[in-house]
Amino acid sequence: MESFYPEMESFQHPEVTHNMAEQNSIPVTKTERSAKFVKTGFQIGGNYIKHYSKKLFNPQLGRDELNEDNATDIYKSLSELKGSALKIAQMLSMDKNILPKSYVDKFTQSQYNAPPLSGPLIVRTFTKSFGKTPEAIYDKFNLVSTNAASIGQVHEAELNGKKLAVKIQYPGVGDSISSDLKLVKPFAFRLLGMSEKELNIYIKEVEERLLEETDYELEVRRSIEITQACKDLDNVVFPTYYPELSGKRVITMDWINGLHLKEFLSANPSQELRNKIGQALWDFYNFQQHELRAVHADPHPGNFMITPDEKLGVIDFGCIKEMPDDFYQPFFSLISSGIINDKKKTIEAFRKLEMIHQDDNPAQVEFYYKAYLEMIQLFAKPYISKTFDFSQPEFFANLYAYGEKIAKTPEFKQARGVKHFIYINRTNFGLYTILHELKAEVKTDTYTPHIT
Amino acid sequence: MATSQQIRTAYIDYVLTQDEKPKSVYSFAKKLKISEAEFYEFYSSFESIEKMVWVDLTIETIDVIQQQEVWNQYSSRDKMLSFFYSYVELLKKHRSFIVYSIKSHKDRFATPQVLSGVKPIFENFAEGLINEGLESGELADRKFFSKRYKDALWIQYAFIINFWVNDDSTEFEKTDEAIEKGIQVTFDLFQRSPIDNLFEYGKFLSRNGKFSASRSNS
Repeated sequence: MESFYPEMESFQHPEVTHNMAEQNSIPVTKTERSAKFVKTGFQIGGNYIKHYSKKLFNPQLGRDELNEDNATDIYKSLSELKGSALKIAQMLSMDKNILPKSYVDKFTQSQYNAPPLSGPLIVRTFTKSFGKTPEAIYDKFNLVSTNAASIGQVHEAELNGKKLAVKIQYPGVGDSISSDLKLVKPFAFRLLGMSEKELNIYIKEVEERLLEETDYELEVRRSIEITQACKDLDNVVFPTYYPELSGKRVITMDWINGLHLKEFLSANPSQELRNKIGQALWDFYNFQQHELRAVHADPHPGNFMITPDEKLGVIDFGCIKEMPDDFYQPFFSLISSGIINDKKKTIEAFRKLEMIHQDDNPAQVEFYYKAYLEMIQLFAKPYISKTFDFSQPEFFANLYAYGEKIAKTPEFKQARGVKHFIYINRTNFGLYTILHELKAEVKTDTYTPHIT
Repeated sequence: MATSQQIRTAYIDYVLTQDEKPKSVYSFAKKLKISEAEFYEFYSSFESIEKMVWVDLTIETIDVIQQQEVWNQYSSRDKMLSFFYSYVELLKKHRSFIVYSIKSHKDRFATPQVLSGVKPIFENFAEGLINEGLESGELADRKFFSKRYKDALWIQYAFIINFWVNDDSTEFEKTDEAIEKGIQVTFDLFQRSPIDNLFEYGKFLSRNGKFSASRSNS
């Protein structure tokens, strides 16, 4: 009889058959969601135990396997939650400078996969918004979604011979954001090693942006505004938005044909083409930062397409970060003017940005001055010369090394820096990362900061 | 001569403005300026009026969804979802009456009398979908249990109606979520699952375990 035991064991783990595409229930109540996070916590704990017990026998064992285990569990748990938790997964995956590589790989998956909504619910969403079914609105409408857009999903449609992309929001997303963020807190606390106070500033800023993202009417207005303002940029294209076919839960825009970044790169594009796309990306971001003072703050690869005529298509304006003067001026003065060489003025700018606090003692001032000077110098590197080659691995190795050093420094567990850094850092590091993946060399003096 | 529709409209108006049933068919008929006999020609009681409202709404919903172009592309699961979404949409137009009707018949443990007309219609509709699903292989055919699938859906029906009556979210968004998740879970249970495999394996072991035991004895 003993020979039966191995099979018996596999019964206790029906999750082995777990399949993303067939996962049909999203945990709904707060308790259910908490349960998911708690489970993740347990699993991570388990992974550590596994790691250290293995390490007893094999001291050479690296942390890579452990990180990989953790990332898998976190990803599994987050991808079942959908909505804002998925958004957080996406956001974390952008901060490659904070997270080890194996977290990043798993999180990046969440930018492409999430279980879809049922056909009838899609029809329902339309009848609620427009009083008509999708078939009555469009000439053609594909009930099977082409991809997930973190708080919604995208469908292909056709009207008057034009191919359209229709984004539909999951019901109840807005409601669950605040409670999700509360749940994510202890989890992020451990993952990012932040202090409670720092995390609260972070969570509040993130909550505001996320709630804005659920407002599709606002998104359509902003998309039209920004695409209008950016229409003269070279090699950047935007879809046309159709406000009359958009509503609270639905956005209709032109379908942009093209390849995602990964697909584009797998076809081995020429250096010239990579530079062209990279330049378009750089111009798009720096034009917004310095001319519009409001920036598309969601530079994850899923939001960009490379069109067949070799242009950069930008498709999602859900997350816009506006930069007030009291942030813009001190921050970019550090980058574009000679202030950085003047210690007194640099410290003054750091104070304005709350990177150095009023009650810091001289030793602390010196410590944070040095640490942040290093960060700014790294960050400003592309701005200093007229062109910058983002393919150099040293630059990114330095960035990651800096990120890791910061994460290990106890002084940085304390809240530092104004809240605007969250999205601006995410945007610029996201931009740098994509340029690095493109291995592009770009002219960095096309749109420069305006400092008064 | 009054029509059944006029009597029904008058009755709904009465209960919604007075928040209670008319004292008697006699007083109600008098108010309508019809004879009691005329009333009984169409309805046997006030309950039967309410019952008919529910029945008509249910039949109307089934008619409407079956005429939709996408209907034939839907799986059984989608069809059931489609029913509930269209149903609550239609009920919305008569929300005051529906809320009155449900709240005035609080039989927590049994099907409220007013829904007794709907039950066979819904079950018939559900059974049709279930059989379709069993044939196509979308749903798992299980001895004894397949016959009970429609009961599970009737429980969902009662749950969703109750949820909707008490839903105070904007545009009854929470009800949409309740439908999506509830029906998905119910149909997940109808599908072939690891439990079926476990059951099959158990059966295999009980047979062949004995077999091997008896062989080692001989």
